[in-house]
Amino acid sequence: MSITLVMCGLFFGGALAWFLEGVKAQSAKWVSLLTVLVISGYFAIALNSTEHDFSTLQVLVRVAWIPSFHIEYALALDYLSIVLVSLTLFLALICVLVSWQEINDKVGFYYFNLLASIAGIVGVFTAVDMFLFFFFWEVMLLPMTALIAIWGHENRHFAAIKFFIFTQVSSLIMLVAIIAMSTIHYQQVGQLSFLYQNWLSLDLPLSISQYLMLGFFIAFAVKLPSVPVHSWLPDAHTQAPTAGSVLLAGVLLKTGAYGLIRFVLQLFPQASLNFAPIAATLGVVSILYGAKMAFAQQDIKRLVAYSSISHMGFVMLALFSFNVIAYQGAVLTLVAHGLSSAALFALAGMIYSRIHSRDLNKMGGFWLNTPRMGGFALAFSAAAFGLPGLANFVAEFLSLVGAYQRYPLLTILAAFGLIGSAIYGMVLFQSVFHGKSQVKHQVKQPINDLSPRELLVFSSLLALLIFIGLYPNSILGFFQSDSIIIAVNNIVGVSK
Amino acid sequence: MTQLMLQSLLPVLIVAFGIVLSLLLIAWRRSQKLILIFTLIIFSVALLASFSLFVNLPNDVQVTTLVKVDSYGNFAFMIVLVASIAVSVLSSMWLTHTTEVHDEFFVLLQLVVLGAGILVISDHYASLFLGFELLSIALVGLVGYSRDSEFSVETSFKYLVLSACASSFMLLGIAFIYSYSGTLSFTAEQVMFDNMSDISILVRNHSYGDVLFYRVGFLLFMVGIAFKLSLAPFHLWTPDVYQGAPTPVTLLLATVSKIAIFIVLMKCWFSQAVFVETISSDVKMLFLMTIFAIASMLIGNALALKQQNIKRVLAYSSIAHMGYLLIVLIVISPQSVALAWQSALFYLSAYVLANISIFMTVQLTQYNHNNTEINIDDWQGIFWQNPSLALLIIVAILSLAGIPLTMGFIGKFYILNVAVQAQQWWLICALIIGSGIGLFYYLRIIFVLFNKASDVNEKNTTKELMPVSFTLTPAVNFSVIIIIAVSILLGIFPDLIGSLLVTAN
Repeated sequence: MSITLVMCGLFFGGALAWFLEGVKAQSAKWVSLLTVLVISGYFAIALNSTEHDFSTLQVLVRVAWIPSFHIEYALALDYLSIVLVSLTLFLALICVLVSWQEINDKVGFYYFNLLASIAGIVGVFTAVDMFLFFFFWEVMLLPMTALIAIWGHENRHFAAIKFFIFTQVSSLIMLVAIIAMSTIHYQQVGQLSFLYQNWLSLDLPLSISQYLMLGFFIAFAVKLPSVPVHSWLPDAHTQAPTAGSVLLAGVLLKTGAYGLIRFVLQLFPQASLNFAPIAATLGVVSILYGAKMAFAQQDIKRLVAYSSISHMGFVMLALFSFNVIAYQGAVLTLVAHGLSSAALFALAGMIYSRIHSRDLNKMGGFWLNTPRMGGFALAFSAAAFGLPGLANFVAEFLSLVGAYQRYPLLTILAAFGLIGSAIYGMVLFQSVFHGKSQVKHQVKQPINDLSPRELLVFSSLLALLIFIGLYPNSILGFFQSDSIIIAVNNIVGVSK
Repeated sequence: MTQLMLQSLLPVLIVAFGIVLSLLLIAWRRSQKLILIFTLIIFSVALLASFSLFVNLPNDVQVTTLVKVDSYGNFAFMIVLVASIAVSVLSSMWLTHTTEVHDEFFVLLQLVVLGAGILVISDHYASLFLGFELLSIALVGLVGYSRDSEFSVETSFKYLVLSACASSFMLLGIAFIYSYSGTLSFTAEQVMFDNMSDISILVRNHSYGDVLFYRVGFLLFMVGIAFKLSLAPFHLWTPDVYQGAPTPVTLLLATVSKIAIFIVLMKCWFSQAVFVETISSDVKMLFLMTIFAIASMLIGNALALKQQNIKRVLAYSSIAHMGYLLIVLIVISPQSVALAWQSALFYLSAYVLANISIFMTVQLTQYNHNNTEINIDDWQGIFWQNPSLALLIIVAILSLAGIPLTMGFIGKFYILNVAVQAQQWWLICALIIGSGIGLFYYLRIIFVLFNKASDVNEKNTTKELMPVSFTLTPAVNFSVIIIIAVSILLGIFPDLIGSLLVTAN
């Protein structure tokens, strides 16, 4: 199976969409939809037909790329990347569908950026040469920034610049750490190397590794995002077009968590263990702060954005508790939050397309006209605050159970975040669907209920949330014999 | 003089001979087209000669004590020639406006290139000074070339006076260095310093003179160099001269003059005692360079933030870029020198390509506006009207900002490699902060390109905007696409140049 084909397919599909839109209007979205469908199909089929055992990292491609630095084009897959790539492809489909009628300006170029960004994200999840990883890490940003800066809302340039500078500066720090690692490899082995597998076998003194770990950690914490480097996220989410927000919340934040799991924890186990109390505290602060801020927002997208910060705090807390259950909870949170936040942003986009406002004060009483939308909204906000039976419940429950064994006090505090999420979830739902209608022209022009396309988006997201919620082993099953679990056990062994 | 020596001097000789022939050509017939073609031929032949020399030259060739031809200098001369070819083409676009015949312009241009050619192969303070002055004096003529422009006199006077001051400081510095070391040749100096294993011996050993004179001498020498490179405390002339000079000449200032000076600085620096071994490395000298570098990175980027004029933005960004480039000088082990050379040359190639792209666009849009001032806002919405030109700008800006897919990123990667090996964490911090600030104005330029007609109406209801609707001739369009393709190709496969540099001794 070839990941290169997936990425190239997405990229050139996007380019084709851009080109064809110039030839025939309205063709770009069909081309993009078809591209994503075909690529997803290919990915699924190829995955089923290989006999690799993905419980450990399987290197699929290794070609020399920049020989003078011993940089290779190396891609690998394990279950973690497979789950995240699948999530990416699924959300790509959702993104294309939610942009269907929203984007009417420079449509071809829009779909090109969307698909190019997704191709970059797939690259991030599969690259194992660190230079290549960094390359994709940056490349996925460019089209994303373009999405915000060109098709965003009123304050888009500011948001795009802020987003870009935050991620760029933090990733430069990571680049320095990457170069330092390869230099250490040069000192120990006599050859530069950026290959992840080679780095795993390095013998790093703690005094150096804690600084290097910090270099990686900062880059991933910005992406996650964790307090205190979260401030780009509300702006970027609010100003981005709907598909941009879906992509940001659904997948882009997950690249940060992925980086923590794959690189920070595995390359620097001892340093991460020493750093864990700080990281876990940051996670808890993010949970509580995100929930509090979400409650105070008037802007529906900002509310959902702050709730993302809160949910990602659970991931941080769980990952740094070095516990198998917590680790599984963290991975499940990634998937569950990817789906539920994507759904909430799609909801915000649909409301915006109807009343051209994101202000919660201007909404209310939608239930009368849009019972179906209301029903879905209730289900999704229930998912966000962790109603049993939906995926988020299992994820957060596992995270908290795992984390409790290491940080009882912090976990108790984190559990308050669940109450907070129930409050802001209900605020969201009530102010949109209950109460008196604030829309003046509502009598003349009732707000439409969901169109079949929107219904498709919502029902597929909800179906997945319920399925994972009822049968979490469909995902957790992959992570029973994972290499990280061995790593986790090793770390805990080290600490004792 | 053996045949090998002649052969290794060939590229410079071609340019020198070309100048004489150009003068004869002018005497025979004054035609701008003719001299343009002749200049292009001279540069291309020199480029070919340089390239064949680069491929065939086994090791360094010492031609008298004045000149040493090595492959690094040779590669730098190739970049200089490529930039000069771009400058000549741009000048031909610019010089068509008036009815006058501008033969002298091209002779001056060739003189600048000759000066640069001497600088990159010089191995002696005398040849350094010769090249330096040849370059400066010809540049003064070029900077003030457009007599009827309002800034011309101010610009050329500013450049002339400051440049003369800088050269005299440099001359004094060279005298001080001579008083200490007793030789003007870089190679001889290196041999001398190699024999002194420790800087403490250097200080005590009175037979060599006072080390204080040496340090002061080097500081004064750096004043001259820093002026030309527009490093931080000596950068004040840069924005005004960039803005006032004709666009092709600005490109010349930004590329040819800076490459040549930087290369000669590297040659001189690596031959000094300052870094030879870790024990003997002169901490004070390293500190001096660090200060220059950090100040340039931060000041250059910070001052560019509020600029509206594109040439001024580029002027400040060039200050910052020279600051980044100075990092390669601070190596503390002789093993890293090769990597430092590779980094500098790669970075310079990326920088030159990006500058050529941007100045080309400035020239093209300027031509259409019939106006010498190009502000960032004049580029509004180019992307929707002329995607290839906009793509050229985007790739160039991203390259300057050091974002992947472009050469600039690889250049930055090289520099970070040098810095990490030398463990210069302060410099790395400054680089990261500087790039962060830099993104602010780089992104602003890119976003302007994407502005839609509706935004323009919202914000600038009072100000009438010049429409940027124009078409490029097929030839220009073709060259634009070629430059884009080359920039991206080298950004993705940097080893096309990198492997050349590795094989260079």
